[in-house]
Amino acid sequence: MENSNSYSPYSSSSVDSTKPSPSESSVNLSLSLTFPSTSSQRETSQDWPPIKPRLRDTLKSLCLRQRRYNTALFVKVYMEGVPIGRKLDLSTFSGYESLLENLSHMFDTSVICGNRDRKHHVLTYQDKDGDWMMVGDIPWDMFLETVRRLKITRPERC
Amino acid sequence: MSEDDEDQSPPSDLRSQPPPCSPNKSRNCISSSSSSQTFPDHVLENVLENVLQFLDSRCDRNAASLVCKLWWKVEALTRSEVFIGNCYALSPARLTQRFKRVRSLLLKGKPRFADFNLMPPDWGANFAPWVSTMAKAYPWLEKVDLKRMFVTDDDLALLAESFPGFKELVLVCCEGFGTSGIAVVANKCRKLKVLDLIESEVTDDEVDWISCFPEDVTSLESLAFDCVEAPINFKALEGLVARSPLLRKLRLNRFVSLEEVHRLLLGAPQLTSLGTGSFSQTHQSEQEPDYAAAFRACKSVVCLSGFRELMPEYLPAILPVCANLTSLNFSYANISPDMFKPIIHNCHKLQVFWALDSICDEGLQAVAATCKELRELRIFPFDPREDSEGPVSELGLQAISEGCRKLESVLYFCQRMTNAALVAISQNCPELTVFRLCIMGRHRPDHVTGKAMDEGFGAIVKNCKKLTRLAVSGLLTDQAFRYMGEYGKLIRTLSVAFAGDSDMALRHVLEGCPKLQKLEIRDSPFGDVALRSGMHRYYNMRFVWMSACSLSMGCCKDVARAMPNLVVEVIGSDDDDENREYVETLYMYRSLDGPRKDAPQFVTIL
Repeated sequence: MENSNSYSPYSSSSVDSTKPSPSESSVNLSLSLTFPSTSSQRETSQDWPPIKPRLRDTLKSLCLRQRRYNTALFVKVYMEGVPIGRKLDLSTFSGYESLLENLSHMFDTSVICGNRDRKHHVLTYQDKDGDWMMVGDIPWDMFLETVRRLKITRPERC
Repeated sequence: MSEDDEDQSPPSDLRSQPPPCSPNKSRNCISSSSSSQTFPDHVLENVLENVLQFLDSRCDRNAASLVCKLWWKVEALTRSEVFIGNCYALSPARLTQRFKRVRSLLLKGKPRFADFNLMPPDWGANFAPWVSTMAKAYPWLEKVDLKRMFVTDDDLALLAESFPGFKELVLVCCEGFGTSGIAVVANKCRKLKVLDLIESEVTDDEVDWISCFPEDVTSLESLAFDCVEAPINFKALEGLVARSPLLRKLRLNRFVSLEEVHRLLLGAPQLTSLGTGSFSQTHQSEQEPDYAAAFRACKSVVCLSGFRELMPEYLPAILPVCANLTSLNFSYANISPDMFKPIIHNCHKLQVFWALDSICDEGLQAVAATCKELRELRIFPFDPREDSEGPVSELGLQAISEGCRKLESVLYFCQRMTNAALVAISQNCPELTVFRLCIMGRHRPDHVTGKAMDEGFGAIVKNCKKLTRLAVSGLLTDQAFRYMGEYGKLIRTLSVAFAGDSDMALRHVLEGCPKLQKLEIRDSPFGDVALRSGMHRYYNMRFVWMSACSLSMGCCKDVARAMPNLVVEVIGSDDDDENREYVETLYMYRSLDGPRKDAPQFVTIL
């Protein structure tokens, strides 16, 4: 039996894409020109896929928890001469500048990168291989991947 | 025989009339031959009563009640367990008028799609009229089991006060009450055996309800409160468990820590079913409790659930009980395949398994290799968005079908599926009665061939001859529905979303599936022609739900006019325009007592 008034943007035989493009799906969801559908408003709401709100909320918090464990990057920070260190989540910084600013604030002194200086504390780090290096030579993202701990050296040490 | 509803009542001439002779004689002896004409009736009535009291199945009872007036009457006297699939199909008064000796009531309210925010709140399904009517009629009521009902604290208080022998309260997907209502039940129902709060919304009234249980030994056999989002008094809980020697099932909420669960287990090794609270260590202690030892002591545990806030390193603690497990629920735990495989490897007796798709196809393959007794599988999506990656696919489900031939019930969320896999699954698992597949991306075709999922679902309905419940998804044309109508002869529940091309699809189903009771459809292009084509069916169905389809108000009004015992509800959104032709949501159901009087503003009863 043939469908008389079928309206289907997809024929049953030839669909190449695995997912409808946004414009296609919104056309299909409106279903017909005569009857406006509000289901497009529901696209962003909480009714598809059909999961109970309680499970949905639990999953959201699980997801957030996982993301936090995945992206948090806590490293130990020592000030040379001071036995008790601090811990810092490097993932919260956008780059070297904000890191230095925060460290200066944390240790109440001025901390800089590179350039031995008799006056300022210089920031160094221990990398994946266990070597102590000067902070600031490599791009920030690369730094995040290799840094294991930080040490703020006394002036005139390096 | 149509579905086992209470409202399967005979025509009005068989309604209750005074019996031909005195009913005061003892029921357990056959009366002597004193009266003349009424003797056979009375004897028959006694005999019938003695026989019918053994009938348990509602189906059988409904059939028996239709034989004749006498059988109807005696059946009504001996029915102690009543099932009402739709609380609006009849009034509470009708229940108490017909059945006089009810001890147990199972009552369902809102339609299932209300769980997914497809219905505004405060639609109805109030327990209040039921409890107040039963309070007067059934003082010996023992059990109340509610699903998707709106229950208030006052209702619970009335329940606790009115039924001195009350034993079991089960509230599934209910709302409207809080911990203060629970406290009253705990305190006043002295014979309470079962208090199960499952997936319900319970407001935190900051009442220590656990302490409200009576001080002496309780009859508690089952206590489930995992859905209660409120801290509890652990010391009181420990005391309660200690004085509940019959306790077998305990489901804790996430406010009970792992250390506390450990203490409970040590005190209650007779548990058979445990829902752990939070499965993580809250503070580092020098000597960590030996969790494995506590689990090892629970030789009777066969059902495990919970695992909220799971810290994976503690999961191996359950290894001692794995070999005994028949039911395992990991659906609140994000477990990777590597964490999962060592655990499942031991679960040879597993029959029911629920989990998140984070275990991946790899994890499912491990299940298939070990769990040969598997009957029920539910896989939920860790990331329930349409464009999420989807760690499980047709491979996992097909592997399960190959390894677990006794499979009966499947609920599977995924992003990728193929027709070939569904065909294989249908051939591997002939015992399937429930098949619910949710391909999360809307209108998604077979990801290998690009074709619609028609052939796959067609194979499912054709080969799974015991199938009673089906939920379809993915790209589906009318052909899929043609298969459903042709082969789905036992299907009672059908869920359709974003599927079909035209009215013909729905017609195939309405004309071809004689056992169809519950039909829920959303976002599909079915219109007036389809709706009209099913008019010969609607009195034999529990309900029909159609939202975001192509129905017009005019047609719905016609249906309502043509079928006076059908309640046709049109549920609108916030739009105030009453003259709109478009019907956003149609929910219709048969009713013996006419339309309800408690409909909110956004519901229009035609």
